[in-house]
Amino acid sequence: MSEVAVIPQNTKSAWVLPSRGIVGMACLIVAEAAIFLIFIVAYLYYIGKSLAGPTPHDVLDLPIFTSICLLSSSLTVHLAVSALHHGRRSLCSLWLAATVLLGSIFLAGTAHEWYQLIYRDGLTIRTNLFGTTFYSLVGLHATHVVVGLIMLSLALFFSLTGSMTSKDTGRLEVLSLYWHFVDAVWVVVFTVVYVLGR
Amino acid sequence: MTEPGKGDAVQDEYPTSDPNAVLLPQPTAWPLVLALGISLIMAGMVTNVAVGILGLLLSVAGSFGWFFQVLPHEAHESVPVTGEEIRSVSTRTLMEREHRHPESATPRKILPVETFRITTGIRGGIAGGIAMIVPATIFSLLKYHSIWYAMNLLAAGGFVSWAGASDTFLSQFHLQGLLAGLLIHGLTSLLVGLLYGAMLPMFPRYPIVTAGFMAPLLFTGILYSALGIVSPILNQRIDWFWFIMSQIAFGLVCGFVVNLQTRVRTPQFQALPFAVRAGLHSDQDERTHQTPTNTDEKGISK
Amino acid sequence: MATHAPVTDSVVNSAPRRLVLEVLHDWVTTVDHKKIGLMYIGYALIFLVIAGFEALLMRVQLSIPNNHFVSPQVFNQLFTMHGTTMVFFVGMPVLFGFGNYLIPLMIGARDMAFPRLNAFSFWIASFGGLLLYFSYLGGSGLYGAGSAPDVGWFAYAPLTAHVFSPGHSTDYWTLAILLSGIGSIGTALNIVTTIICMRCPGMKLNRMPLLVWLYLVMSCLVFVTVSPLTAAQIMLMLDRYLGSHFFDTQAGGSAVLWMHFFWIFGHPEVYVLILPSFAFANEIIPVYSRKAIFGYPAMVAASVGIGFISLSVWAHHMFTVGMGAGANTFFTLATMIISVPTGIKIFNWLATLWGGKIHFTASMMFAVGFLFQFLIAGLTGIMLSVAPFDWQLSASYFVVAHFHYVLVGAILFILFAAFYYWYPKMTGRLLSEKLGKWHFWIFLIGFHLTFDFMHIPGLEGMPRRIYTYEADRGWMMWNMIVSSGAIFQTIGTLLFVYNMVWSFIKGPIAGPDPWDAWTLEWSTTSPPPHYNFAIIPTVESRRPLWDLKHPDDPDSHYE
Repeated sequence: MSEVAVIPQNTKSAWVLPSRGIVGMACLIVAEAAIFLIFIVAYLYYIGKSLAGPTPHDVLDLPIFTSICLLSSSLTVHLAVSALHHGRRSLCSLWLAATVLLGSIFLAGTAHEWYQLIYRDGLTIRTNLFGTTFYSLVGLHATHVVVGLIMLSLALFFSLTGSMTSKDTGRLEVLSLYWHFVDAVWVVVFTVVYVLGR
Repeated sequence: MTEPGKGDAVQDEYPTSDPNAVLLPQPTAWPLVLALGISLIMAGMVTNVAVGILGLLLSVAGSFGWFFQVLPHEAHESVPVTGEEIRSVSTRTLMEREHRHPESATPRKILPVETFRITTGIRGGIAGGIAMIVPATIFSLLKYHSIWYAMNLLAAGGFVSWAGASDTFLSQFHLQGLLAGLLIHGLTSLLVGLLYGAMLPMFPRYPIVTAGFMAPLLFTGILYSALGIVSPILNQRIDWFWFIMSQIAFGLVCGFVVNLQTRVRTPQFQALPFAVRAGLHSDQDERTHQTPTNTDEKGISK
Repeated sequence: MATHAPVTDSVVNSAPRRLVLEVLHDWVTTVDHKKIGLMYIGYALIFLVIAGFEALLMRVQLSIPNNHFVSPQVFNQLFTMHGTTMVFFVGMPVLFGFGNYLIPLMIGARDMAFPRLNAFSFWIASFGGLLLYFSYLGGSGLYGAGSAPDVGWFAYAPLTAHVFSPGHSTDYWTLAILLSGIGSIGTALNIVTTIICMRCPGMKLNRMPLLVWLYLVMSCLVFVTVSPLTAAQIMLMLDRYLGSHFFDTQAGGSAVLWMHFFWIFGHPEVYVLILPSFAFANEIIPVYSRKAIFGYPAMVAASVGIGFISLSVWAHHMFTVGMGAGANTFFTLATMIISVPTGIKIFNWLATLWGGKIHFTASMMFAVGFLFQFLIAGLTGIMLSVAPFDWQLSASYFVVAHFHYVLVGAILFILFAAFYYWYPKMTGRLLSEKLGKWHFWIFLIGFHLTFDFMHIPGLEGMPRRIYTYEADRGWMMWNMIVSSGAIFQTIGTLLFVYNMVWSFIKGPIAGPDPWDAWTLEWSTTSPPPHYNFAIIPTVESRRPLWDLKHPDDPDSHYE
């Protein structure tokens, strides 16, 4: 650029733009939310339209304990970010470990539920429309939990080896945004599948 | 797909480095490898499992490679800035321009006039919509001795079951008719007002008269030909004389209200050819207030 | 024609010639937004030629009654591949390519926000295209049935079920679109983040070039339209691979649900394609009219309005399904309402043209063609938005003519304009104006021969996707005219390709700013250096280069 284009002015200090990571993650969340929305619409549309059993009322139990675990992991990941922000790296590792643990409990809960449904109740994705929509919706969410857990475990690993410093708060915050999103989706999925759908 | 959010702002690092070089992200093939891996996983679903496994391996390799490109620090390369380039750009300013396109160097014409803001169109639309009710109601009262008739007729377009309704039915009060009528009428008024607001600056000398008469007539003409398809019931019973009267009421009031919103319009505006008026920006009037100070204060103010 | 891209830098620096492999390595590993943009454009042009060739084959088949130039099976594959390719592997990539190339330059940035994601998105979308066309070779997969997809570009259920579409042809379609969808979402994410986070100092939102604004709206629209398509494709894959019942009518599933999901994507997708076209018009028309764009705030508001309204019009593709009077009324009204912001745009372009010192370059001629044809396309669109009219003409050639009027008459025309306008920036050389004008007139004649007359057999009841027809239907002459127009269009396109190649080698040197334009991309060399700007610019108005050229009378005093 030539000199003339640069009209002398002290914009440098005042020119602040949003962080790329957060905006990018927000975009990803919007896109992901749209995907979930379609699956939720399909679930709602097919409630009660199965031609054969088992119905949600027969086989679904409220996964209250695992849901509490998942939702509280939102809090722990938030605490991890603020701990890192204040430079307390060991505290950060602790909260991250708690988050991974809580997330894993949720995942184990889902696995157990699926095992029961498949082997006790004989409900697979092929059985009826309930099976189709249930496994795809809950499975899509579980996939997101798995991805989140892998990322969080990586973060935990780097936190333990000490290569994550308070300079990386921004990155961990982006990851925590994703995790909050996964939790928020679960609130919707829980409402749709276990409350409305039953 | 993997963690696009990772990575810190690169741009902050630019000025700190060597002034004759610019830091840019380093070229890398890992995104390509990951993309190829994912594509091969997909291809594996339609060809052979082996392809899918190869894809999986490539994806894992690509993810790792990408990860270490970004973490712990983004990989950069330093690109030297060629000195002559800056010079070549800075010489290319006014001088050369004046030879090639003399017209671009002439100072612009500044006119202390203002076009209408688009929101005034909405206000005009609301006012016009209210005004339109008056002739419609007079028509209802005169012809069917009921103030609800015109409204129900309008609403009937939205209800299929009302298609064969009798005049007496349409003369009675119906809540859903009121709501549907209000909705259709309100929405149409708003939109027409909006369009009117956008178009008004382009009309010739007497905007209210032309817009108030011509636009309704045009609109009526279009509706006359299309109404049979849009709302057959309205088409059967419409009284075109009263309809045009309502339209003109709309146009006049809308134009009047929009016209009220503007500030002083200088005589030059009316005298200008359409072409020049179309080129005006609504924000140019600020110039009139700022002219005396601005020329000296360039670079300090703002 | 793909060759126009990779040789770029070697021409301009007359440095010692590098090995082909080195150049190739540079292009394959690049994360530079300009190179990725050029690759997007080159790749889209290759597919444009392929899909155009498919269209030509179809027109040959339909030119006379009782023709057997291709078999019915091949014909089904042709229209499926033509539609899918044009939308996903021509329209989207070429627009993303221009966006990739222009947005960082226009907002004064050195690269996109996520350069590696950018490369990833490009590669995954391009592999999607390759996978789709691999179906011609490997469509039988391991099971020995079928070849290229033949279910139509919107692939209505239950035709896509395993029973009706055995083998892997439909899977190729689904997987290719999934891959392209991942790429689209990645690029859209990148564009939004770039626009929000990478603007140079002073480039406030209300000073951004309108092109950047429109790409912002378009990319936000991609999130909420391509994602539903991705979801629907996942469902279809679950149906086909795991035996679930989303669209399986035998098990209580709903075929109409697929239609809803597809068109929730499908209609906003039209706007995803048309918004960048508006974006090009917004840059090209003012520059060749020698006037600032008329009504900048109204343009921005109208674009955002179009973005929102376009999300509520999808079911006008489904009037014949029988959705009930309420839904029909709603979607008719919503579709009509969208003509209001579009109308505002057209008025603003006309007002920009009006009284301007119009330079009729090839680019401007295409832009004016765009304005005129887009208007007509919009008018037939309003006709079709009326449910009873649509009941009569849905799935007829009238509809085909309507949407080709949008896609060719509007989008392709403005794309050609964009090529003539930005080619000098991308390569450093001007396209030949003389050839460009020949291209314009020949293509214009071909376009109107084809798509004006295509409305008529539609009105006479000729259904779309028909393989052949009897001689006594009265469609013969019209189809002959339509097909002959296709030949003109082919010649025009070949001229354009020739122009691109010839100008790349022999075209006049463009210099940094051949059109005396006002946006930042013209302030750097042509082609721009790797780092775009040696010093990050600071802007004071919507037309930074105007300020630069007229320091005594800058725009910033007026905004």
